[in-house]
Amino acid sequence: MTAASAPAAPRSAVARRGAGSAVLGSGRLLRLELRHNAMLWLLPVAFALFFYNGYREIMALPPMWNLRAMTVQNRLLLDLLIPVTGAAAWMGSREGRRGITDLVAVTARPRWSRQLVIWAATTAWAELACLACVAVVYLITARQASWGGTLWWPAVVSVAGVPTLTAIGFAAGAWFPGRFVTPLVTVVMFFGVAYGTQAASGDHSYWQISPLTTGAVGIGAAPGVASFYPYLPDLSIAQVMFTVGLTVAVLGALGIPVARMRWLAAVITVTGLATAGTAVALAGTGRLDPHGMIVIPALHDAASDQPVRYTPACSRTPIPVCVNPAYAGFLPAVTAAVGPELTEFAGLPGAPARLSQVPLVYRQVSGNGVTVGGIGTGPAAFALPDQVPGWLGTTDAEFAAQLDEGLGLHLASHVILGDGPASAGAPSQAELAVIAGSVRFPPSVESRDLGPLYGQVLPQPGSPAALAARRFAALTPAARHAWLAGHLTALQAGRVSLEQLP
Amino acid sequence: MNVEISDLTRRFGRHQAVAEVSLQAGPGVLGLLGPNGAGKTTLLRMMATVIPPTTGHLRLLGRDPGAYGPRREVRRRLGYLPQNLGYYPGFTVAEFVEYFALLKEMPAARVPAAVATAVERVDLSGKARAKLRTLSGGMLRRVGIAQAIVNEPELLLLDEPTAGLDPEQRVHFRTLLRELGQRATVVVSTHLVEDVGAACSQVALMDQGKIVFVGTPGELTARGTEHGTGDAPLERGYTAVLAAARA
Repeated sequence: MTAASAPAAPRSAVARRGAGSAVLGSGRLLRLELRHNAMLWLLPVAFALFFYNGYREIMALPPMWNLRAMTVQNRLLLDLLIPVTGAAAWMGSREGRRGITDLVAVTARPRWSRQLVIWAATTAWAELACLACVAVVYLITARQASWGGTLWWPAVVSVAGVPTLTAIGFAAGAWFPGRFVTPLVTVVMFFGVAYGTQAASGDHSYWQISPLTTGAVGIGAAPGVASFYPYLPDLSIAQVMFTVGLTVAVLGALGIPVARMRWLAAVITVTGLATAGTAVALAGTGRLDPHGMIVIPALHDAASDQPVRYTPACSRTPIPVCVNPAYAGFLPAVTAAVGPELTEFAGLPGAPARLSQVPLVYRQVSGNGVTVGGIGTGPAAFALPDQVPGWLGTTDAEFAAQLDEGLGLHLASHVILGDGPASAGAPSQAELAVIAGSVRFPPSVESRDLGPLYGQVLPQPGSPAALAARRFAALTPAARHAWLAGHLTALQAGRVSLEQLP
Repeated sequence: MNVEISDLTRRFGRHQAVAEVSLQAGPGVLGLLGPNGAGKTTLLRMMATVIPPTTGHLRLLGRDPGAYGPRREVRRRLGYLPQNLGYYPGFTVAEFVEYFALLKEMPAARVPAAVATAVERVDLSGKARAKLRTLSGGMLRRVGIAQAIVNEPELLLLDEPTAGLDPEQRVHFRTLLRELGQRATVVVSTHLVEDVGAACSQVALMDQGKIVFVGTPGELTARGTEHGTGDAPLERGYTAVLAAARA
């Protein structure tokens, strides 16, 4: 059949587009999608979730860059997961839900390209939410932190994780365009990601690849990590590789059904999967370094093993106490807790001219177990515990008690026992009494698990030496100092009995 | 010829929706008539490159839409209004039409003017900034027509375009169809024979997947002078041809 023989049709409004026009067209499409994106409406939800979950916890931490930045990585993605994945799934299923599939299927722009624009708009708003949360925490921390610079790697991992969430959510929505896919994929993703953080065990765990995992499993965000040594980006690099690879793979898979682009999409998908798989394998080669971070040999830069240079913050006490400037905020608490010991031992033979903080030493044991050491490299060195006020609910009183039992006891035992408890042989009861009295034998001592120290640097509770220690502790620091100045040599020589103690 | 179809068949499982249809169409308005389930929508969807034919040959605008590159070229020059128009409620009229102009890969610089023209042609200029969720069914239909014509298509496929339009708008729409048909091939699938009589230069009648009549509206009318039933002459021709085909 031939329809009416009307005049020949002129060329239509469609003209071959140049690259500039294509870019401009994509830009306008993106603008439209940005304006009508579900993620835009979920931004307040994202901010509220972060505020109630992550932000309040992060701001309760001491203002140390390492603590806050690593906790941001640990919390932010999980807080954003529900609105971000949900919005992406909703946008991915939009064409199917709205019954517009036929209409858009006959347009010239390939489906893959159209989907990528929608995904990009969703991701742009999600990234805005992520960056805003990071910016707030970092700006406040920059104003509060006593020392140190911005730790970017934890933020980079979070930022790189957002497109992965949107890609997975979007693909689920596009492949299964129903209204129930949004809650379903959101719940599955939430529990999947949360499980990923719980499944890791030890420094060789492949599960460390989870972008929520900060630092070593079993340590996480701790004050002693990345204070004295640079933040090692090894694990972060692997995590970014993983998230980028996964994103590329999922987005590539979206294009596989598109004719002509099938091979390109398949190559992109395989490349993404290979990148993600390589990252997982790399994470499995990790090992805990003594500074509490994960070293991945293939990604490790030996230059990162050099300690950070800093000018310590020192107290004006009889024996100056010098700490890493990142810990400067805790210096008053330190000097208050061990102030009497500093007065008592200043100027005595064997007493250090000053006390300098040294880094903690972390060592991986079986499973997720990590031992933390560092105290006892000499009378002039001490390590502050990770349990600083504000970290995991640690109170000022608990911090002071730890210092009494750690730094105070460390200083007293070194001064009283000479070269240290390990090399001095069995100490006399009088020496134990003086040590315990010098640290004022705090009530917490008997209630805590200090059993291994009894007979080594502390007297047995209830023993005559313990009674003498209480008598000695009742003296003022100046009085104890005066007595020790006159009797320390005799005490160390074993010529002072318990009865002779003041 | 803008549309060249030969022995086109489409099956859905065991059901044969379109059976060995052959058809050619140049510039002008072709009305596709037929009862429910005749295969009009399936034929239109194949012509719109939504679904491929099971067998047969199809050439659109001188190209084979079975190949990716030519199909994309055809789609740049195609306008399509499906029977059930889906839409995004949050988009405004202008945004929705712009969205499809961009998806049809129109030169970006020409999009704003093309959108304004398309919206004006369906008499929705006053509602250009209105959200689609606030529009009536008839207005939404006109939005659907606007998105179909925004790229000034060389091949325009309209499935039940006048459903939901009020009489005034239908008259207006027929005028628009005649205008468009002067330089493009317009295929209109409809139940409403008066639309065909008023706007179409050619008419094809489908029944049970096959084309049972092709001719001018006048020729269809002539078939019903003795045997047809119905209120209008064209309706009588329609029923007469269907009855003959089924006999």
